[in-house]
Amino acid sequence: MEIKIQNVSMTYPNGKCALKELNLDLKSPSLIGLLGPNGAGKSTLMKLLVAALMPTSGAIYVEGRPLSKMERVLKGQLGYLPQDFGLFDELTVTQFLDYMAALKGLRSPGSAVSEAISQVNLEDKAKARIRTLSGGQRQRVGIAQALLGNPSFLIFDEPTVGLDPEERIHFRNLFSRTAQERLVLLSTHIIEDVQSVCDQIVVIHSGVILFSGTPAGLIESAQGHVGVFWEQEAAWEDGLHITARVNTSQGIRCRAVADQLPSFVQPEEPTLEDAYLYLISREVAQ
Amino acid sequence: MIKIFRYECKRLLWNKFFFGIGLVLLFYGWQVLSNATILGISHTAPFSPWSFGDYLCRMMPLLWIGALFFLTFFTSAKAKRMAVLTDATPALPGHYALARCSAAMTATALLTFACLAEAAVFYGWYFKWYHWGTLLLTAAAVLVPPLVFALGSGWILGRCRPWLIYVWMLLPMGVQAVSLPSMLGVWNGSFFTEYPKTLGMMDPAFTMPPAAIAAQLLLLAAGIVLLGFRCFGTERQPV
Repeated sequence: MEIKIQNVSMTYPNGKCALKELNLDLKSPSLIGLLGPNGAGKSTLMKLLVAALMPTSGAIYVEGRPLSKMERVLKGQLGYLPQDFGLFDELTVTQFLDYMAALKGLRSPGSAVSEAISQVNLEDKAKARIRTLSGGQRQRVGIAQALLGNPSFLIFDEPTVGLDPEERIHFRNLFSRTAQERLVLLSTHIIEDVQSVCDQIVVIHSGVILFSGTPAGLIESAQGHVGVFWEQEAAWEDGLHITARVNTSQGIRCRAVADQLPSFVQPEEPTLEDAYLYLISREVAQ
Repeated sequence: MIKIFRYECKRLLWNKFFFGIGLVLLFYGWQVLSNATILGISHTAPFSPWSFGDYLCRMMPLLWIGALFFLTFFTSAKAKRMAVLTDATPALPGHYALARCSAAMTATALLTFACLAEAAVFYGWYFKWYHWGTLLLTAAAVLVPPLVFALGSGWILGRCRPWLIYVWMLLPMGVQAVSLPSMLGVWNGSFFTEYPKTLGMMDPAFTMPPAAIAAQLLLLAAGIVLLGFRCFGTERQPV
């Protein structure tokens, strides 16, 4: 699966420009993490990829052909978990997945449904009506419908929202395994999720790609821009973007990112979160 | 799509609303039959097509509400959130809409059948009258055009704004409250009370003037066009 996004812009009728001249190549097998603050354009990009929206300019190519001509082909290989979705509360988990399997045109829906249910650990709720499920369990049903039929292109928009830490780790591992032979696009606010599974990262801010590359590359870009200091020793904090403030018995220990670290700040090895925050803070400052 | 049709039927029929409106419909229907229809309409027999037509016209507001309520399963805000998932599947939107439309029609047809069956039981119970076949034309003329129109127009309105369906449910009440020209009399029942008197005989055979037939056919055609537009019209919005 190969998808090319060329000069794609998206402006909503209310005038809000969600994406500006975006260029991106997605190629399987890969697990690509899409990072960005709220309103950055991540969900818009995903909606464009599933043909739920049409770009105001530019084009998306699937296997070298325009998406408009490949829409059904793409959807036949697509598993999509949107950020906000509804389920049929009247149906049981198995019935709902069977319904989705019918829409996806799967040849052996019974085994596909059983496999998806076991992948998301919902065997004990397979016969439960969806209206009786908790938020986390509903999210797992959403993930299960995306995984139905082993699609070759998976898009997950905030998949781990509402899941407890143990479940999050389970799904991280699942996404990682899934991406071994497929293209997986994972949008999230949880940097830990991206750090642990993604081999590529795309950072979007205000509809523009700020970074595209490996996690190590993003961390590298923040070398020398991350440090720690004691708040009481700080001469000033202008230009410093404080990313953590920890109360200790000796005082308040701050972690910060900055273009140029002042002398009272002791440099530290950046984490992916530091690097992301540095990138975004630099963009906001500009 | 047969599986989708089956699941949609299950969603529409296996719920409190369907049983609730079914019970209300049967209760109200029995009241109409035993208080109004039993006396005969416009000097015709209670089991004449005229009296039967009047009964169906009185039931129409409830059937209309029922048909539109089934559509809320497909047009509500919750259903639109679900559509985010179904739209991302390779299923043809027209076929999917057709399967759902068929389910809504089936559910509406079942409510209608309950009305007809109740009348049949009533006629058999009180009058030992079993020539139900003579009433089929009246039933088709009174019920099919407005119910098809309800489904077509309701679906289009519900897609624009989900709450419009609830406003649209009030239409038959409005139509029954105003006086309509004779050609539209089937819509509020005045045709069955007024037209037999103009025929100058006791218990006349059921006929409809060409203008009234045309009005019903026009309503049916409008309903079919609107349903067709819903099923095979432009599915994806630019934004």
